[in-house]
Amino acid sequence: MTGQRKITEITVTWFCWLSGLLLLAALVILVGYLIRRGGPVLGLSLLFGDTPPLDALLLRKHVFDGLYPALAGTLLLIIGAMVLAIPLGIASGIYMAEYAGGRTKAVFSLLFDILAGIPSIVVGLAGLSITIFLHRIFGERIMPCLLISCLALAYLVLPYLIRTTQVALESIDPVVRRTAPALGASRLQNIGRVLLPHSLPAIIGGIILATGRCAEDTAVIMLTGAVASAGIPRSLLDQYEALPFYIYYISAQYTSPDELATGFGAALLLLLLCSALLVLALVLQRRLTIFLLYR
Amino acid sequence: MAPAVKIRVCDLNFHYRNRQVLHDVNLTIPSGSITAITGPSGSGKSTLLLALNRLWEEIDGCRVRGRVEIELDGRLQEIHSPALPARYVRRKVGLVFQQPNPLPMSIFRNIAFPLQLAGVRDRKLLAQQVETALRKVRLWQELHNRLEDDGRSLSGGQQQRLCIARALVLQPEVLLLDEPTSSLDPETGQAIEELLLNLKNEMTLIVVSHYQDQVQRIADLRFTVREGRFTRLPAGRPRSRTGPAL
Amino acid sequence: MGDRMVFREHLFRSAAVICGLLTLAIFCFLCVLGLPLLQDGHLLSLLSSPWAPARGLYGIFPMLLASILLALLSLALGFPVSLGCSLLITALAPRRLRMLLIGMIRLMAGIPTVVYSFAALFLLVPLMRTLIGRGSGLSLLTAAPVLALLIVPTMVIFFVAGFEKVNRAHLLALDALGGSRVQKIIHILLPGARPALINGTLLGFGRAMGDTMVSLMLAGNSTAVPSSLADSARTLPAHIALVMASDFDSMEFTSIFACGLLLYLVTGLLMLLMRLPGRSPDNES
Repeated sequence: MTGQRKITEITVTWFCWLSGLLLLAALVILVGYLIRRGGPVLGLSLLFGDTPPLDALLLRKHVFDGLYPALAGTLLLIIGAMVLAIPLGIASGIYMAEYAGGRTKAVFSLLFDILAGIPSIVVGLAGLSITIFLHRIFGERIMPCLLISCLALAYLVLPYLIRTTQVALESIDPVVRRTAPALGASRLQNIGRVLLPHSLPAIIGGIILATGRCAEDTAVIMLTGAVASAGIPRSLLDQYEALPFYIYYISAQYTSPDELATGFGAALLLLLLCSALLVLALVLQRRLTIFLLYR
Repeated sequence: MAPAVKIRVCDLNFHYRNRQVLHDVNLTIPSGSITAITGPSGSGKSTLLLALNRLWEEIDGCRVRGRVEIELDGRLQEIHSPALPARYVRRKVGLVFQQPNPLPMSIFRNIAFPLQLAGVRDRKLLAQQVETALRKVRLWQELHNRLEDDGRSLSGGQQQRLCIARALVLQPEVLLLDEPTSSLDPETGQAIEELLLNLKNEMTLIVVSHYQDQVQRIADLRFTVREGRFTRLPAGRPRSRTGPAL
Repeated sequence: MGDRMVFREHLFRSAAVICGLLTLAIFCFLCVLGLPLLQDGHLLSLLSSPWAPARGLYGIFPMLLASILLALLSLALGFPVSLGCSLLITALAPRRLRMLLIGMIRLMAGIPTVVYSFAALFLLVPLMRTLIGRGSGLSLLTAAPVLALLIVPTMVIFFVAGFEKVNRAHLLALDALGGSRVQKIIHILLPGARPALINGTLLGFGRAMGDTMVSLMLAGNSTAVPSSLADSARTLPAHIALVMASDFDSMEFTSIFACGLLLYLVTGLLMLLMRLPGRSPDNES
């Protein structure tokens, strides 16, 4: 009996350690490879090519052989999507945590879970169908564009924002929750002056995670207006470039080693951007826990 | 002449989810008195406090049946009447929790907070009220030059007095205290009890406490709770069977 | 003032209602636009026939099959690794390593899909080309490990949360009886976290079914029915991404709405499955 037990012990232990090691190896190989191929090209000329950076930033000159338009497109996408999604997401999260109850809450909960599960390509397809509808109504002016992409991405990250706000509010200590009402605060005053400030780090953490999701998503934007070459968009109704789409495009269409090197640069840049956002979100969440312990 | 009735509770029943916490509670509490309520934990003594200032409405799954009348602004009023806003009741009937719960803001803002909630904007008036409240709880001497410090940086006893000051700043007519000394050392606890004795002149106090608490001795009226049923005890002397004689 | 308060409270509710309606709106959009295909009454033939636009056949059976095969394959690769890694985090690793592993998993969850696929295109594809010995190296077998890497962090995070909800008292009891760590895993953690393990796996399956970039860049996108795992194949999401460039009014274009609808239904169904009685994570402990 002990012999058999020993074998089980050893097998399970080894299996677990091997799994962890395998993941670590995969991560190290992936990141290491990207750094080796993309690292050397990382620099100002990766972004701006031969154009003087200041001229490019001030939009005085077009950048043709750099990633600046793609990076700018990604940033515009993030800003647009977050401006649309944050108010709606946080307000819904507040409703879920503070007002909804019973069956209403269960129904909304299910709807938001389904929303969270919808694959991004389907969200992109929905964006495309809206474009088609608008195109039929308003005619030629409406084509896939930055605005449609922002709408679709906002839709994609809504469940993140709703859930983080809801969970942050619901996990507030009941003692803190009841303090202000006991002093005569209305529900709204309690939310605005105690509950939201209390859960702010967690909510900001959620917003940053959602930002990362906007930055990385490719499926949505390839259906709703991202193109390989467009320059900096002049309006919300223009087509645009974006980092993840550029990476995809290069992988299929590269013609020279230089273009491929830029592709690796873009991949590394996107990886750094997303990791930075992630670390920022984690630091904020960690601070939240410290904040709670200290209290 | 008998003192005026401040609080009258008639046939109060309190349910939480599927459990009945209070059974047919009947109490009459005179104005300007200290009432002590004792009982084993989970017997429903804290629940009564929640029913007296409608804070139970903030907790999911609570139901209340029966009458709770409190004299507010010179008139005996049914506090659960729909015409009466919960906020009005809670401002008139203050509640101090067992665990000191200063909010994560400065000492000054902690105390000014209820006034700000009620819409007071005048800085001078706020400063004045904060000072009065801090003087009442004997914290002014210690804290007047560190009002901008975080409320949570104070010691346990100071925090609890801060919370009492925060309740007092609204000038409530009734003050409910849920085991206010249980998380403090005996000396600090005694200071709080003396404070309560002083406050008796201005308001009616109800204190939930342990059997062995000093509060027993300063109480005018004593009740004990067992499984949601209230029994009145003779005032002044600790009951020898349940608590050690002091 | 009272009116303003009521107004703001209505605002919160309206926001939630809008978000809820948006969920349903997508479904309606897909239905309306996919209608021409569904209307002709050959929904079944759509799901079972091959893709041959030249012959007027717009069936999405090959894509459906490829999607399911790829998702199952990546689950087969990803599940054991996720289980092992989450057990390592919960029960076996020393504290400091545990924090490091959690950090690693979270970092992996944040790596963009397109970056995974891009790197794999240059690392894995040449290797597979040699291993398979024919074709371009783009196949279901190439995409599966990358897709597994993509769903592992989600599953590990879910599993670890499930293990942490297992009753501490039971673990202590086993400790008191002199049980080893591995016995703790086998007798307490695994049975206790069963619902979380099932739900995490469903979630991983949903993510694998819905992912676009990995299969689009690595699986080869052939529209033929795959006859082996080493074949090139096209998944539903990749099909949507590839066909959308064609004419808006064509039947080809309409077929991608059927794909979208199918994906929506599958992921929605998975969410419902996760909520079966006794499965909800709140019922634990």
